[in-house]
Amino acid sequence: MSAVKDLSLRSVLDAAADAMLLTENSGRIVLANPTAQQLLGYAPEELKGLTIEMLIAPQYRKQFRYYHKLFMSRPAKRPMHEGNELIALDREGKEMLLEISLSPIKAKQQLYVLIIFNVANRRLDAEEALRTSEERLRLAKQAAGLGIFDYDFKRNIIYWDKQMRKLWGRHTEKTVSYEEFVAAIHPDDREARQAAIDKAMDPNSTGEFKAQYRIVNPVNGAERWISARGRVYFEAGCAHRLIGVTRDVTEQKYIEKKLQVQRGETENILKQQVAVRTASAIAHELNQPLAAISAYSEVVLHALDNESFIAPHLRRALQGCVEQAQRAGRSLHELLAFLQKGELITEQSSLAEIIHEALNFVYEDGYGRFYPLLRLQQDLPPVQCNRTQVQKVLVNLFRNAIEAMNVTDSPLLTVMTEVQKIGPQQFALVSVQDNGPGLDASVSKRIFEPFFTTKSSGIGMGLAISRALIEANGGQLWIDEHARPGATFQFTLPLVS
Amino acid sequence: MMLTEPAVYIVDDDAAVRDSLTLMIEQAGIAVYAFENAKAFLNAYSPDFFGCVIIDVRMSGMDGLQLQEEMTWRKIMLPIIFLTGHGDIPMSVRAIKSGAIDFLTKPVIREKLLICIRVAFTEARKRISEITQQRQIISCLTKLTPREREVMLLAVQGHSNKEIGSCLGISYRTVEIHKSKIMQKTGASNLLDLARIARENDLGR
Repeated sequence: MSAVKDLSLRSVLDAAADAMLLTENSGRIVLANPTAQQLLGYAPEELKGLTIEMLIAPQYRKQFRYYHKLFMSRPAKRPMHEGNELIALDREGKEMLLEISLSPIKAKQQLYVLIIFNVANRRLDAEEALRTSEERLRLAKQAAGLGIFDYDFKRNIIYWDKQMRKLWGRHTEKTVSYEEFVAAIHPDDREARQAAIDKAMDPNSTGEFKAQYRIVNPVNGAERWISARGRVYFEAGCAHRLIGVTRDVTEQKYIEKKLQVQRGETENILKQQVAVRTASAIAHELNQPLAAISAYSEVVLHALDNESFIAPHLRRALQGCVEQAQRAGRSLHELLAFLQKGELITEQSSLAEIIHEALNFVYEDGYGRFYPLLRLQQDLPPVQCNRTQVQKVLVNLFRNAIEAMNVTDSPLLTVMTEVQKIGPQQFALVSVQDNGPGLDASVSKRIFEPFFTTKSSGIGMGLAISRALIEANGGQLWIDEHARPGATFQFTLPLVS
Repeated sequence: MMLTEPAVYIVDDDAAVRDSLTLMIEQAGIAVYAFENAKAFLNAYSPDFFGCVIIDVRMSGMDGLQLQEEMTWRKIMLPIIFLTGHGDIPMSVRAIKSGAIDFLTKPVIREKLLICIRVAFTEARKRISEITQQRQIISCLTKLTPREREVMLLAVQGHSNKEIGSCLGISYRTVEIHKSKIMQKTGASNLLDLARIARENDLGR
């Protein structure tokens, strides 16, 4: 007991882990322990003599005075965590929220108050920050319509969030078996999605996963387009989990589709105008010689009918017929040359590259579903051609093929290249084959004719133009009538010698 | 004016069309004069051209319809047959409204063209006789004395002999004598006829 007696108030306060201030009833500080000095950022003894009010942020001083008076009129212990808080200023003027306890101490005539306090806002800050960031993430996810998934390969289950469960419909559990997860995916899209996952799981890959697929809501059968992105994480060279986000892109797909239709329509109108102008040009160029031939012929016919031959006249008329027929032919050739006007700029190009570009073009176009099968000769020398024109031809052939396979279960687009020797010159031979219903003999005979079409919305210039383009590039384009299944188009391009 | 046999004037910038049509029309016993453009035709034109003009609508320089306008402006009264590459309906309507005989599509059928030319020739004769008649009347009108003109003006306005007399300060009898001379000179059979002649020749206003 005697040892305890030796302890001075000062030494107890100095040793305390909590910040403590001892004030007179006026509020003047008579003692401040080191913890308090440190918390408030004051040097030893600096706090002594200041009033509590001076430590309060100015805008709260009036309020403080009221509570101080109230406390002094009926002094009683006020423990911590009862919500007694003060907004104080440290020496630098920074506001801090203090949680305080108040203990009145009566000594002689004087009433002292022991204030113990600690900083509440440090904890609050962290809580607030966490709350804010979670809230932000939640809001961002909501705004972007993002769902989060974590696919555990070993256990073959997927952890998913509320957003994703909502898209998949009916599910309430925080995990789902992979099989159940896949069941909601549109059967047509499963294969491509699985291929994307397999690719990302390859330890030699970057692990990036990217796929778009439809899911069918099991409750109402509604289809939604999902865009999924993620990354595969590897453990000891082994794919371990796939974490990523999903987004509902149905609206976007719809807009894209609409835009594509509009673009297609515009293109069609343009094509139609070109066709009308071409036809009108042909009509004028051919009509004049035809008019002359017709008149000359009638002159001859009339002379024969009336047996009134004037030999020089007949000669002139027949000579006119011959000349005009030849003029018509010349006009046609000139017209075709005009349609391909400008000097053709060719370059050495890799045919495989052009084929890939054209495939990408058609693929991104969303023209229809198909599986490309490429059988490209590995060591094919470069071809000499105009890249844009050849690409145009390929896109046209691919689109025709895809459209033809509209009714096919697994539409397969086969593209082959090989070297072919024709006479002394070497050509690249390109084959484009579909597994659609194929073409009737009567159709394949006419398919390259301008304005011939089997499509209700087409104008029948695609293949005629394609053939003209390939011929302008020094090759030939034809249809292989005997190849099965489907239709096979082939064209040649000169190889760089 | 000498009324010779009517001829066909062809204006077409295509030499072969020109030549073949010339041959065809000449074969039917009709004289043909061909011109390679509108300007050549207008330069060669003289008032004794008689018959009809066959004009290609689509020509470089002045086109067929512009030539038609120019002919109207120059008071060239030859009937016009248009030729066109393809039947442009609005264009043909415009041409016919402006007085063209027909609008034929190339290649032209011989029979159709010859019928058309005959129709045009008939029209040409009609126009010529109308012009001749009008010229005769005009020359008659110039034979009237100044006083006779005054009387005629008042008469066709519907004034009585008495009114004309008091208006011009001459006797009723004198007016009657003037009137009979006017009828004689113009060849009008009655007052109504005289009023028509006056109207057609811009008199009496």
